[in-house]
Amino acid sequence: MDQPLSLKLASLCQISQYKLEHILSQCGEKADLIIDPVLIKPLERICGVTWLRQHGIDKIYKMDPQLGSTSNTRRIYFIPACIKKYKCVLDQISSLLSLNPAQADAKCFNIIIVPKFVCTFDSILENKGLYEIVKLHSFSWELMRLDDQLLSLEVPFLYKQLYVEKNQSLLSSIAMSLWSLFHVIGKPKCLMSLGKMSSSVLDLLEVYNETFTRDFVSNNTDDIGAVLVIDRDQDYSSSLLTPATYSGLLSEIFNINCGHLELNVKETKLKKGKLNFTTSKDETAKTAVMSLDSSIDHLYGEIKHRHFSEVLSVLSSKAKLLKNEDIKALGIQEMKQFVATKLQQVTLFKQNLVNHVLASETIISEMNNKFENLTLTESEMLNNRNKRANFTYIDEHFGTDVHMHNSLRLMCLLSLTQGLTYEEYNSLVHKYLLAFGYKFLYVFNNLITSGLLVQPSSPKLSLSNLSNLSDRLPKWQTEFQTVANKLKQLPTKSDSAKSPSYVFNGGYIPLVAVICNALLTSESLAELLTKLSALDDLKIGGSSVDKAKRGMESLNEKITNSNTKTDSENGYRDAKTLLKTLKGDSRTMFTLKPRTVLVYMIGGVTYAEVAACDVIQSVTGSRIIIASDCIASGSDLIAANM
Amino acid sequence: MDDDDYWNTSETKAKAFSFDDDVLSTREILAIGQKSHPGQSVDSVFTTLNDARTELLPISSLVSPKVLDLMILAQSGRDPNNIKDSEQTLAITLKRIILGRSFSLHQYKSLRNKTELLDGTISIGDGNAILTVVLYLIQTLNKKLVYELLSARPLALNHYISFLQTEGKITELTDLLTMLGRSSEAAVFQFQHIVKTQGNSIDGLLRKVNNLLSNHFNQPGMDAHQNKMVADYIKLLEWQKCSSIPELYNASALSCLLHCVTHHWTEGAGNMMSPLTLCQRQQVTPLQYDWVVLNIHANTNKWDVVESLFTKKDWLGRTTVSSHIPIETLISRLSELKASVQIIATCLNKLTNTEDRLRLAQKYKVS
Repeated sequence: MDQPLSLKLASLCQISQYKLEHILSQCGEKADLIIDPVLIKPLERICGVTWLRQHGIDKIYKMDPQLGSTSNTRRIYFIPACIKKYKCVLDQISSLLSLNPAQADAKCFNIIIVPKFVCTFDSILENKGLYEIVKLHSFSWELMRLDDQLLSLEVPFLYKQLYVEKNQSLLSSIAMSLWSLFHVIGKPKCLMSLGKMSSSVLDLLEVYNETFTRDFVSNNTDDIGAVLVIDRDQDYSSSLLTPATYSGLLSEIFNINCGHLELNVKETKLKKGKLNFTTSKDETAKTAVMSLDSSIDHLYGEIKHRHFSEVLSVLSSKAKLLKNEDIKALGIQEMKQFVATKLQQVTLFKQNLVNHVLASETIISEMNNKFENLTLTESEMLNNRNKRANFTYIDEHFGTDVHMHNSLRLMCLLSLTQGLTYEEYNSLVHKYLLAFGYKFLYVFNNLITSGLLVQPSSPKLSLSNLSNLSDRLPKWQTEFQTVANKLKQLPTKSDSAKSPSYVFNGGYIPLVAVICNALLTSESLAELLTKLSALDDLKIGGSSVDKAKRGMESLNEKITNSNTKTDSENGYRDAKTLLKTLKGDSRTMFTLKPRTVLVYMIGGVTYAEVAACDVIQSVTGSRIIIASDCIASGSDLIAANM
Repeated sequence: MDDDDYWNTSETKAKAFSFDDDVLSTREILAIGQKSHPGQSVDSVFTTLNDARTELLPISSLVSPKVLDLMILAQSGRDPNNIKDSEQTLAITLKRIILGRSFSLHQYKSLRNKTELLDGTISIGDGNAILTVVLYLIQTLNKKLVYELLSARPLALNHYISFLQTEGKITELTDLLTMLGRSSEAAVFQFQHIVKTQGNSIDGLLRKVNNLLSNHFNQPGMDAHQNKMVADYIKLLEWQKCSSIPELYNASALSCLLHCVTHHWTEGAGNMMSPLTLCQRQQVTPLQYDWVVLNIHANTNKWDVVESLFTKKDWLGRTTVSSHIPIETLISRLSELKASVQIIATCLNKLTNTEDRLRLAQKYKVS
């Protein structure tokens, strides 16, 4: 089983397909598949229509509350784990049953829920009298390979549930995806978590490991040396900042769904979020779809991580090469050969080239005037300089070219890095509500809950409210610069070699890149932990850490101990406590073998972070694989709070 | 390499987009790229997407059949053996909840056992297990006791709040939060529920938001600014109801202003549909007013109006710019709106700093 890692990751969809096959085999022959539109693209990565037909699906419909009768009585609904959508399906089934009560005994209704159904789904089913009439299936598909070294679980609704609604019901799905993955690529010897949810994910991973341990068949692979699971709110700045890389800017301007970009140059994400002053409506033009996958589009692979200022010159040099490859100069035989082997390749290449140029043009026309001032202001905020000017910039922005998501992004960034006074906060809120409607008043509370915004204390707030608030605010936010400086995230004037900070125009190094760098360059455990000592909520475990320490604590022990609150949890040790016991001990060597790190971001990773890790891996001669529940830009994060 | 050295020797590309001169323009690249070879339609390229799919590893070389069975088992939450564990310890119960297997909580009768059960789920952090236990507590304990347990356990409390919110049980949510001294949050949750369920029904919104204002937002201890926003919302809804223009129902103040500027530009203050009246009622900032007016008139090519609004002649007869929009922003926007060179030049003259003036003149190609 020594296949290359990249091929193994790409083949994970085979396991997903196997899992789906097992579910479909329980749903009976000849059924209609009714699929929620958001699941179409991910499903396409698991199986095709032909495959579905071979496995009992007759017709396929898009889920629509108004959907009438379909060609078969047997129905399989395919929806994400969202209560609202689930209730909608149940209502539809109820109304079908009221027309034709005999169907109740036919057991012809199945609902497949991605990634799993939770306890409330069961009780709602019971409550609506549909228990035993409707059968629920959890479909926990595996991580999907979107690009080289980029994996996604494609459950984009997870951020909202976890961080805005504070509901961790689907956290076990993250753990399960890791559990499956480790069966394929081996268990890493070092496991780290940063943040409370990540810590829970590793605990849940232990539950799966323990439950199925007696049957665990080790295949002796060890493709990765370490895994880092990290909560999105540990580094919100990397989401909020404006990226300077090509792929990062693509995600600012265009809709990207499951690795496919809709090249809609007229209705961009930037335009749609602003006040519309024109009455004329552009007819919806047919838009091309670009696949953001380097193995399909090599050109994309070459430019995706580049600073945007370099992209056009690369595209231009490619165009010059193409010009030289004109077929006029070819003889008949050569021409035949060309048509048979290279023509399609060249045509595809040209199409990709054209798409990238169109995309770049759109980026320039929408960003060029603003980019310079925007990134300059962001950099000033990060470094805690010119607060008044930064606020004025944002306040003017709210009063003029205000954007539904991106303006809030700036507000959040200022709030996290330099803070907002009560008056400043209200000035922005007022302008925003005038522009987009008072109905969005609640959005600011959601942003506070998810930790993106810090509520300034009102002069009139009572003491009880105050203590309540400070509990809810992660502490690192108030000392943003202190922590960022300790971790060397804010580059000073530097002028040679490549720094990962280029992804934010030289202003900031994403936290994941800092941690990966520490993991890959530390020689002893003490050194690693010292480098990362500014981080709260960092936990570390696994055989490379525990050799010299106490053995792993089993789940049973953990629960027995849960009342006495011991510091060790499932063998994962709090990094700060561990560092104390290691004081002066530089002998505990720490070597990553193999030099491959898996980063799993809970709540959506950004393209800028992926690019930053790419720098680290080339500098340290290692490999970094990024996984997340989805790829989310800053505006996606803000939109999840609406 | 030493860590410090690494960061210190790093380069940053702190520059905005700038392009080399010998680089082809985007039009030139497009011309090369779009010249198609005969007999090959552009659309056909998308069919090649499936090529990558064929080179996958067979499932047997990924995991053993035994592991595959385990994965199916884990996904389904079924029991491997149908025999129930005779001894139901706390750990076993928790595991069964987490794994999605069948379980029974009826043996947890004493308050102590219930508390241990709840703390067990919290220590692992699986939201599904936490909520399962919280809902069991709600069924079997009186509310006061449950609330007491929850108030000391924020993680469990958050799950219950989230549950009440998605289930639309707003009254219970309000009771809970009020009891915990978090009535300002309760008010916002109610507000969110109203705007998300009422749609643009103006009467429903008016009635419900009015009630909410007097029963919750107007209570002592509430944030004054938030309170004012809700009151302004009601004022706007009332104005919209009076206007009897359904497209404006529940639209934002600036959208309404846009309507007034477009259709009632000449109506004077005091008149209900006059832009000035609306601005006054809603306290639209002068900056926002200027911005809306500029954009609407420019989009409808009423440059004379734009000019008369934003420029004035001083006593020497020179034209100067007067607007609440900062001058650089104004110039940038005018350029985007394709204003005449003359208007932009007038704006540039307002800049006292020659360096800025030159830079912007070059940027917007006004010489």
